[in-house]
Amino acid sequence: MLGAAIQKDLLLLSRDRRALAMLFVMPVAFILVFGMFFKFGPDKGQRRSISVWHAPGDARGERLVENLKASESFAPIELPTAEAVRASVAKEDSIAGVIVPADFLAGANPVELVLDEGMSLQVRGPLQGSLTGLIVRALLGLPAPSPNEPAMVVVKTPPGIDRPMTNISAFQVTVPGNAVLFGFFIALSVAIGFTEERRSGTWRRSMAAPVSRATLLLAKLVPYSLVGLVQMAFLFGIGALGFGMQIAGSMLGLVLLSIAVVICATSLGLLLASLGRTEKQIGSIGPPVLLVMGMLGGSMFPRLAMPVFMQKVGLAIPHAWALDGYYALLVRPNTTVIDVLPQIGALLGFTVLFAVVGLSRFRFER
Amino acid sequence: MASVLALAGLGKDYGDRRAVDAVDLEIEAGTITGLLGPNGAGKTTTISMASGVVTPTRGTALVDGHDVWKQPRLAKRALGLVPQELALYDELTARQNLRYFGRIYGLGGAELASRIDWALGVAGLGDRASESVSQFSGGMKRRLNLAAGVLHKPKLLILDEPTVGVDPQSRNHVFETVKTLRDEGMTVLYTSHYMEEVEMLCDRVAIMDHGKLIAAGTIDELVATHGGKGLDIEIEGDLETARAAAIAAIEGTGATVKTISARRGNLEGVFLSLTGKALRDE
Repeated sequence: MLGAAIQKDLLLLSRDRRALAMLFVMPVAFILVFGMFFKFGPDKGQRRSISVWHAPGDARGERLVENLKASESFAPIELPTAEAVRASVAKEDSIAGVIVPADFLAGANPVELVLDEGMSLQVRGPLQGSLTGLIVRALLGLPAPSPNEPAMVVVKTPPGIDRPMTNISAFQVTVPGNAVLFGFFIALSVAIGFTEERRSGTWRRSMAAPVSRATLLLAKLVPYSLVGLVQMAFLFGIGALGFGMQIAGSMLGLVLLSIAVVICATSLGLLLASLGRTEKQIGSIGPPVLLVMGMLGGSMFPRLAMPVFMQKVGLAIPHAWALDGYYALLVRPNTTVIDVLPQIGALLGFTVLFAVVGLSRFRFER
Repeated sequence: MASVLALAGLGKDYGDRRAVDAVDLEIEAGTITGLLGPNGAGKTTTISMASGVVTPTRGTALVDGHDVWKQPRLAKRALGLVPQELALYDELTARQNLRYFGRIYGLGGAELASRIDWALGVAGLGDRASESVSQFSGGMKRRLNLAAGVLHKPKLLILDEPTVGVDPQSRNHVFETVKTLRDEGMTVLYTSHYMEEVEMLCDRVAIMDHGKLIAAGTIDELVATHGGKGLDIEIEGDLETARAAAIAAIEGTGATVKTISARRGNLEGVFLSLTGKALRDE
């Protein structure tokens, strides 16, 4: 029975272009687009313009210009007046501007950092921080930071956490983010699959066959789980081969975590199927629920960038646990299966929860 | 004769609503029994309980001597259900549909292949086996729906409104198929709204209304008990002359003619007579 159901559902899926696009094409497009949005580390070759004004011959201003040039991130543009600097930022010719007053005095007449304060904190924070650092160094008479100078500050990952790999590509994050987001969309296919069987009468015909109800249920869930596994393998495969995504930790861990994600998504599908009677109902409940889960779980932007409260809310979403596991496996070398057992366990816990609620509401005889 | 289907006190409640009261019905092997009733009479619920699709609130259903709820595998192996809906996968071909339904009945290998060929022949779709069901006409889908129900050669075939929305040729094909299956020993329970279908096909008839079985027997028995008496004379020649002569002859016996009306042949008969009975699926 299971073999027949798997063969039948795979045949049906292979002829459903909409579902194939949703499961395989859309995530690749999202990975590509999000991968281009996000960037980790210095943006080599893509320096951001910083307009600067200082009084002619002002040593602090000249040092600032040198420091900006020496940085790998910024390209200073010297303008003739302070007003020209402000206008340049207002017109978005430069991302920020620095005005060094001739009569600089800390507190009374400070350096003006011209910046759109309406920028999102995620963009403004790093920009303001790095420019402030360069300005302060210039004011103190220090040159731009160089690898040869004695370190004043050193970054160290504390014991208990593996150091992440260097030069993290954005795809290390966007591939699992979108694999999880779209991996959970298999829940929608599961739920619609049930309503479609009910609508067409094939469910009734199958119920009259010499097959137990548990087998009937499994015969609907197992094929979608297999499709989900193929989807995950496809997306991580494309990520590795097409986008240069690397796997820093255990490959076995990645496989087991992906299996847990797929089982959890299928179980969520059973829950959705128990909530909606028709394809229309499932279609109106499913996508918003899955998108909100994806957002809160960190599939679209990292949870670390969210407010603390929202980060905690994310822990009630399976996506967040899945992404924590993937992040460790993809970014931290030496991450083992044991290290991601909590995440796998959490996903299996969600699986049980969804299955229990789904089964308690599921009506075979509707 | 042994009963292939035996319903005893079978009933179903949905909350406070009693959908089917307590149906007692036995169907003998090798017969076609019609189950008649208006919409909402409880026909579909009754056959759903008899086929193990809906859990009864009370009573028992035995198929080929096996309790549908206590020995479901044995009972269901002996049963074929043809639902009112076109219970097929539109995106699959006729053969792929039959292969799936055959496999869930435990068929496989050469046996499954030969049963599929047989069922396609039953449906008159042998030459369309590799086409997607979505390309089929309503009549072709109805016939394939029937084929999927008989694929495993059940002892009892339950047909739920099998001719809804089909052309006269396909309807006739369904009738012929049901009669052939009965002649080969299959027992059939046939639900329909159409009196003429039941009258033409069925050896016995059961009538339901408001969730209760209100009458059962052969058509002759039911007509004798519940129907009026009359003559139906088919005239060849001049109708008016014949009518006057018939009235005079009848009144000559001392009987009184209360009503007399002319009847013409029905449109379906004209259509079939003119267009023939051969299936046309294009």
